[in-house]
Amino acid sequence: MKNIEKIAFQFPTTLAAALRLQANEKTRGKLLAGGTDLMVQWASGVPTPERVTSLWNLPEISAIRVLADHVEIGAGVTHAFLVDCQPLRTHVPALVAAAGTVGAKQIQARGTLGGNVANASPAGDTAPALLVTDGTVVLASQAGEREVSLSQFWTGYRQIAARPDEIIVAFRLPKRGKARERFRKIGTRRAQAISKVMAASRIRVEKGVIVSAAIALGSVAPTPVRLTQVEQFLAGKKLTPALIAEAEKLAQTTVQPIADIRSTAEYRRWASGRLVRDALEHL
Amino acid sequence: MTKARKNARQLIGTGMHRVDAAGKVSGETRYLNDMPLKGILHGVVVRSPVPRGILKAVEPDPAYNWTGITVATAKDIPGENVVHMHDRTMPLLAEVGAEVRYRGEPVAVVAAKTLAQASAAAAHIRVEVDPLPPLLTLAEAVAVFKSTPDKFDSMKSQDIVKGDIAKGFAEADDILEGEYEAGHQEQLYLENQGVVVYPQKDGSIFADGSLQCPYFPVHELNDPLQLPPEKIRVRQTPIGGAFGGKEEYPTMLIGYAALPALKSGKPVKITYERNEDILFTPKRHPVWVRYKTGFKKDGTLTAIECDYILDGGAYLTISDVVMFRGILHCALAYRCDNVVIRGKVARTHSMPCGAFRGFGAPQAIWGIESHIDAVAAHLGRAPHEYRQQIHIRPGDSTPTGQILSAENGSTTCLKQALQRADFARKWRQSSQGKLRKGQQKLYGVGLAFLGHGSAFTGDGEAKFKAKGRVELATLANGKPGVNIRVSSTEMGQGVHTIFTQIAADALSLAPEHIRFPLADTAFVPNSGPTVASRTTMVVGNVVYRAAQDLKQQIEAFAAQHFFRGAAATLKDSQLVAKGARPVPFAKVAQAMLKEIGGASGSFQFNLPDSIRWDQTTFKGDSYPGYSWMANIAEVEIDPLTYELAVTRVTAVIDIGRVINPVTAGGQVEGGLTQALGYAVMEKMGTGKNGLYDAARLQTYIIPTALDTPEFDIHFVEYPYTFAPPGAKGVGELPMDGLAPAIANAVAAATGRRLRQIPITPEAIYEAVHGGREGTP
Repeated sequence: MKNIEKIAFQFPTTLAAALRLQANEKTRGKLLAGGTDLMVQWASGVPTPERVTSLWNLPEISAIRVLADHVEIGAGVTHAFLVDCQPLRTHVPALVAAAGTVGAKQIQARGTLGGNVANASPAGDTAPALLVTDGTVVLASQAGEREVSLSQFWTGYRQIAARPDEIIVAFRLPKRGKARERFRKIGTRRAQAISKVMAASRIRVEKGVIVSAAIALGSVAPTPVRLTQVEQFLAGKKLTPALIAEAEKLAQTTVQPIADIRSTAEYRRWASGRLVRDALEHL
Repeated sequence: MTKARKNARQLIGTGMHRVDAAGKVSGETRYLNDMPLKGILHGVVVRSPVPRGILKAVEPDPAYNWTGITVATAKDIPGENVVHMHDRTMPLLAEVGAEVRYRGEPVAVVAAKTLAQASAAAAHIRVEVDPLPPLLTLAEAVAVFKSTPDKFDSMKSQDIVKGDIAKGFAEADDILEGEYEAGHQEQLYLENQGVVVYPQKDGSIFADGSLQCPYFPVHELNDPLQLPPEKIRVRQTPIGGAFGGKEEYPTMLIGYAALPALKSGKPVKITYERNEDILFTPKRHPVWVRYKTGFKKDGTLTAIECDYILDGGAYLTISDVVMFRGILHCALAYRCDNVVIRGKVARTHSMPCGAFRGFGAPQAIWGIESHIDAVAAHLGRAPHEYRQQIHIRPGDSTPTGQILSAENGSTTCLKQALQRADFARKWRQSSQGKLRKGQQKLYGVGLAFLGHGSAFTGDGEAKFKAKGRVELATLANGKPGVNIRVSSTEMGQGVHTIFTQIAADALSLAPEHIRFPLADTAFVPNSGPTVASRTTMVVGNVVYRAAQDLKQQIEAFAAQHFFRGAAATLKDSQLVAKGARPVPFAKVAQAMLKEIGGASGSFQFNLPDSIRWDQTTFKGDSYPGYSWMANIAEVEIDPLTYELAVTRVTAVIDIGRVINPVTAGGQVEGGLTQALGYAVMEKMGTGKNGLYDAARLQTYIIPTALDTPEFDIHFVEYPYTFAPPGAKGVGELPMDGLAPAIANAVAAATGRRLRQIPITPEAIYEAVHGGREGTP
């Protein structure tokens, strides 16, 4: 904790000001939103940066917009705000459910969606739910804005596809439409838990046939992952108990989880398939 | 006084509000870290970087600026380098040339004006160790025990023998064996360990600390500090939880802080951050226990043979007594004429394990209660019905040959718990591995039944003779009143409240006249440590008798000074005598303070002469009294993921006279919740580097409110009549039975018996799919 006192904090109040700071190597700071991940890391001995740019006071990245076919959620929106937003429950229910399982209430009040994504933990609670929307991340810099597909955004363990001068400003997420979403997290306990395995899904069934399936898992790989093999296997097929059993097995053979302090590789592999079953049984 | 008079009634048995609540709720209570301390140094402990090796050097970097920094090593220990606990093997600081025996063993203490300075300087002490191969875990030690028993390193061994075990097995129609294991558990008190040591001008030391046993440092640090007991004064600061974790360890911490304090002449404070506290303070002992039981076709137990091995860590500290309590609970609760129990304390190269609520008994009961369920299943009997047949009751003899008196509510606890939980019906609904009609989750119900010995083992209390006083004094509010002077410490369990109730009733005084100041060895006699479920039963009796003594003195004074020699009685906060107008207590007390300078009632505890105990053979009356509990757990397991929820817990408990049903209920709910964590989530492994792998709150998982079940807690009262007001112990017993009750419920739900705790979804998965632990 003691080294936190040595950090130079800068508190821009407009996005333009923040982008200006980040554009120049000499003024660029480690980006800090709610601080719920970084403060913990610094307190537990991770080296502290020289400079920090706070994103807490930027109105431009703190709004939720519900548009015709998608929702746009500002990166600075907190989990608590997201959970309370009624339209999001309709259009991206898995994300709302996921945000409701982040840490404790206090963490939800402070932690942001952008921060959860930028922290890039494979156990980040909102990641699978974001992935199944086929949405994009909106990145801003002084050079302008660009969009990166969420499926390409996490490039490796705790790595993201943002340049040092860029700030995550929003997420553009297609609405679920007629598809059904589900989120399920297996944590270390019933609240304030980091996931052992979690799954989000967005699956559309018409007349008993799976029209489209998006399934993503967290905590089973260095990054959050989409189960593309399982999705392709399911597409166009009739939803039957036999199909569900096959999908469960296929999921178990595709994932390559590791053992760590929270769980075993064997359990994670098994549970991955079980959560795919869970998604398919709730359509 | 009118109000006081109205309030003065029998307080024992009522849920009187806690006397320490207002200060703790409002934040007025100052814990050690809240106290503004000027001119003190902050101490940091420098530790061994390896779990085992020969310490070659502990040297401050000559290039570093050491101005204003005090470094204490073994060379600075004034006397013999030993912390005198239950043996004399543990040095205060590891000595160059000697062996370090656990990762983190202290080798030096650095003190500076700020914690940052001390930490920075500590990093510039070169600690050089020639590593030796360590034996880190109990599993490794047990492997040695099984393969080459003569090479097994036991720091202390003790057997209990009753009857003829060979005859018992010969008489048996069938025999069942089983092994059961449990790992470390962290106490996780809210307030971390902390002490301040103030060196005094006369060479003595005065220590403030968050600690359960103020007299321990007074008697255990004489040799290293070269100070007689009267030159070590210890004062308890308000304690933010302890659970045994602040029993023996604060002595070591005071020892560490004393060295730079004596060297620099300045007060030194050491407080741990959570990570250091988890890594380098004692845990509950891991256990491996093996049962072999012989029984008749009708279920009668003819033989119980048991090996009970605890992981003591690198030094004995107090592990012998933990093992003793463990083996005394290994076969306590069931009738059997032929018993052999062999207890051992394995030496491993790890942080010495220590006191934690239950003190060896939860480990023993985890084994026996799992095993008895396995025997019932083997016999095709229902677990409740089988226990009703074989459980111990008044008139029966324990493994040490103690005959249970009528003051044991064992049968009532069992009977009432089964009724309250509707066990027989629910047992038939258990899933046994397959969802029954209408079930969404695998359902199981499990039972554990147990006794817990109250107070020190055997004749320990008779030898110790706990002392206490109740004194007339001018209170902090300027009014005359009564101070309770005992060394028992309030650590959240409610002793300040219940002793106020006891003193109030014994004196017939309203509680506002009574204070219970924090223990300070300069002012309190030694009523013993706040441990072993002894405080309410033993020290409560001391307070009761001392208060009665004081009452007589007050009455005698009042008779003489206010009633012209007529007999006076203190009743409802006033002195009354026949035919005279009552005089308020405050007026008499004021006069006593003025005329004779006060008064003090005192008492020294003893046990009944009938108590017999042989510490060598472990035969006789192993505890002066027993509390009893029947504990029932209901679980639901999601067949999709094997996530487990404990939905309902029933506990029917005999703790003798219940002094305060609210605090007692709180003790039970808290203990059951701690036991829940032990049973299903608290997991701590040891890495190759000798460090625990779960050393932060992020990785060491304890239950939250959402994980706790619905509790049905009910007390039945079989008072301990020898020691009025008649309480037995409640502190530890709630920790004892829930883990096996849950394991038994999981067996009923899944058809698989799990022999290790915690029972995580991963463990259930392995038991069901891996077949490794697959015996039903």
